[in-house]
Amino acid sequence: MNKTSSSKGMSINARIDLLVSLLLIAAAIALPFMIDSRYVMGQIVLALFYATIASQWNLLFGFAGVFSLAQMAMFAFGGYATAMICFYFGWNVWAALLPGALSAVVFSLIVGLACLRLTGVYVALLTLAIAQTMYLLIVTDTECFTMVGSICRQFTGGAVGFARFGDLGTRALLKGQWLAGNYAIIATLFAVTMLVTYIIVKSPIGLAFRALKDNPGYAVARGVNRFQAQLLVFGISAFFTGLAGGFYAAHFQAIGPGILSMSQLMFIIAITVVGGVGTFWGPLVGTIVLVAADELMREAGEFRTLGLGLIIALSILLMPKGLVGRLGDLLSWLRHRNRAAASAITFQEKPATTGK
Amino acid sequence: MSASAEPPVLSLSNVVSGYKGLQVLKGISFDIAAGDFVTVVGPNGHGKSTLLKTISGLVALTSGAIRINGEPAPAKPHTIAGLGVAHVPQGDMLFPEMSVLENLLMGAYLAPSKAEVERRLDEVYTLLPKLSDRRDQLASSLSGGERRMVGIGRGLMMGGQILLIDEPSLGLAPLIIEQIYGVIAELSRSGRTILLVEENPARVADLADHLHLLDDGVIVWSGPPAELLARDELLATYLGG
Amino acid sequence: MFDILTAILIAGLTTGALYALATVGLSLVWGSMGMLNMAHAAMLTLGGYSAFTLCTVLGLPVIVGFAGAIVIGAVAGGLLYVLIVRNLLKTDKATFEANVMIATVGIGIALENAILLTYGGQPLKQPISATGSFVLGPVSLPFQNMLIVLVVIALMAVIALLLGKTRMGRAIRATAQNREAAQLMGVAVNSVYFQVLVLSGAIAGICGVMVSSMTQLSPPLGNDPMLKAFIMCVVAGLGNLPGAVAAAFGLALLEAFVQYVAGARWGFPTLLFVVIAVLIWRPAGLFGRVQIRRM
Repeated sequence: MNKTSSSKGMSINARIDLLVSLLLIAAAIALPFMIDSRYVMGQIVLALFYATIASQWNLLFGFAGVFSLAQMAMFAFGGYATAMICFYFGWNVWAALLPGALSAVVFSLIVGLACLRLTGVYVALLTLAIAQTMYLLIVTDTECFTMVGSICRQFTGGAVGFARFGDLGTRALLKGQWLAGNYAIIATLFAVTMLVTYIIVKSPIGLAFRALKDNPGYAVARGVNRFQAQLLVFGISAFFTGLAGGFYAAHFQAIGPGILSMSQLMFIIAITVVGGVGTFWGPLVGTIVLVAADELMREAGEFRTLGLGLIIALSILLMPKGLVGRLGDLLSWLRHRNRAAASAITFQEKPATTGK
Repeated sequence: MSASAEPPVLSLSNVVSGYKGLQVLKGISFDIAAGDFVTVVGPNGHGKSTLLKTISGLVALTSGAIRINGEPAPAKPHTIAGLGVAHVPQGDMLFPEMSVLENLLMGAYLAPSKAEVERRLDEVYTLLPKLSDRRDQLASSLSGGERRMVGIGRGLMMGGQILLIDEPSLGLAPLIIEQIYGVIAELSRSGRTILLVEENPARVADLADHLHLLDDGVIVWSGPPAELLARDELLATYLGG
Repeated sequence: MFDILTAILIAGLTTGALYALATVGLSLVWGSMGMLNMAHAAMLTLGGYSAFTLCTVLGLPVIVGFAGAIVIGAVAGGLLYVLIVRNLLKTDKATFEANVMIATVGIGIALENAILLTYGGQPLKQPISATGSFVLGPVSLPFQNMLIVLVVIALMAVIALLLGKTRMGRAIRATAQNREAAQLMGVAVNSVYFQVLVLSGAIAGICGVMVSSMTQLSPPLGNDPMLKAFIMCVVAGLGNLPGAVAAAFGLALLEAFVQYVAGARWGFPTLLFVVIAVLIWRPAGLFGRVQIRRM
């Protein structure tokens, strides 16, 4: 974010954001008409999930300064809650999405109450421990909760998870085109998430966080309550992450403990870091770059995780503000150069006119 | 300033420095000869501490030059410390969870031998006998005056001939201030070069050979302390009377 | 009843010793340089596999394997400083704390994966282990557990002496307590940071050998003790070494007890719930020493 931007500069940035959004919306509408491959469409839907999760992690870490490692736990919580409501109560998926997301919010508020009074690294340590506990409790769950036919079902679904609890209804409605329908739904989810994130970043809460980052003592003196503001953002971010989790379960018609694995969390962190922590478009840029890189690394197969780890470390080392930050540096450099060039030209013109 | 063939032990020419986005020192130049007692006075927040931090390397030089014993000063604080420049910082900056003795030993971190450490320790205990009584106490448990003495003692343990002392009277009771200045006078008599920062010029009237008045990052007046104290208009303008 | 108690006590003390070792390595780095080393788990694993390579693959004596694990751990710590930390330290303090966490997360996962690719995922047997037990009336003490507790006690004594009595240890503590003042005394803080990471890498190497001798070698070996160590650190306050050791033993005994009473899967969740309850009740931590650091 450009800290020293004047009011005129702000409006230029806002105009750029608007232009980028319109272009993206146009591209998003055109996309299903241009792509035939079911595999590619499927990967794009998956990428939209990643972008949504990463944007919410970025909201938490990049803007609110909460280094939470429970991001996939929030996602899983929303997904599991949605799946379990459908599985145990026979609800329609669409009806279960909102309660699922809200249960993720409740979970996040409990976690937040426990963690957010602490600072920095302690938040990271506790959220990681909470996410790992959730994973361990699910995979080690072997106690029978109900019997489905002759098969024993654990309350949490155990190591297998849940499947066949309903879908988004697009198969019945659109038949062969169901994937395009799901794409439209998930793309809308992403767009709404980004819009709300933008509003939050530009709102008084967003300003308060910038103040806390620039001058914590001053911000606190001005009555900014870091704990309350962070808890609020934690809840908002958990809502959209949990909602995405619900949609994820519905899209794949399955959910299992695998999404809680460390490598999934790594992928989200890598996306945000490569794109640019604390930049609005960073998570989207990071998703595009990393999903593409991931597709290329599929050739390398087993080296994927190794590659991801190195990408994370190297990008934080070489471009701490990510690709979007680098782009911003380039733009302001170009702007300075243009201004310098312009002043050089006027300077050259002067002697020419006096020479006449 | 005495004109001798020896180069000044400390020489500043056009020193500019500050913090990110904030220039504090805007071109400071002066020399200090061996054994001199020079004091920089001025209102708070006008760069006195930054001046000492720039000399000891804690604040990076933006432009200008600093010479120590005629040689250009290195950039890193630990190398400058190795040249015998002992900075006794404002607010003491002791190691709170170390004993008095350990704090003093940290002062002698670069000492060449164990015997030399012992020699310096004896010297400090003779000058500041109270530290000997308190040697096993944690620094965080000391009173303000005792902490100041540990700060000075730790600076002496560095064994350097150049002492940079930042506001030794800050936050102390008048009686303790008198004691502290007694110790500083002793150090000056022993031949050490002293650059001291102080808010109140009256405190150094009998000690300092030379005085610089620092205001908003530049030196606005230089001369003997007695002369400054006689000029009411300077005192009123820069030091609030 | 007596059997159960001794079993819980032996298990609790042994894991407590291992946790203490893991926690000290982590806490030392945090305390002196404000860095949370998320790659510490992978360095533990590296230590365990180094001993395996030296003893089982190359057939060298056990003592060489043990020393090798220490040396390779130390080298890994040193490399981490030279390649990553040194460059991140040039940024300002607030960004350093977050960036170094992210960077070490990446390094950790890359290292763990490299070990997986080199050795495969199947569990291997750690050659440095003792068999048999010491029987005293009704009590039977496995040699392996005794060995671990003794090694850890010896190591703690060495670390305490190093930090408390040597010039290097004093410089490390001085840097932790007041970095600027330490610089003024002539301490080159960058070399202190290097020393600290080398030291913590060496501790991680030993810890990895000890942990794998109790269980088996596998690439995620370090993750479990590391996760526990994180919890201990939160309870004790990062950088508080005596507190970390006390918390490690206390929580390990609690874990052993819960695991016996309620089953193995409830051990870690109980620890976590206890810690969260403590934090809600006393945000300053159990030992009342909160370290305010800004993000």
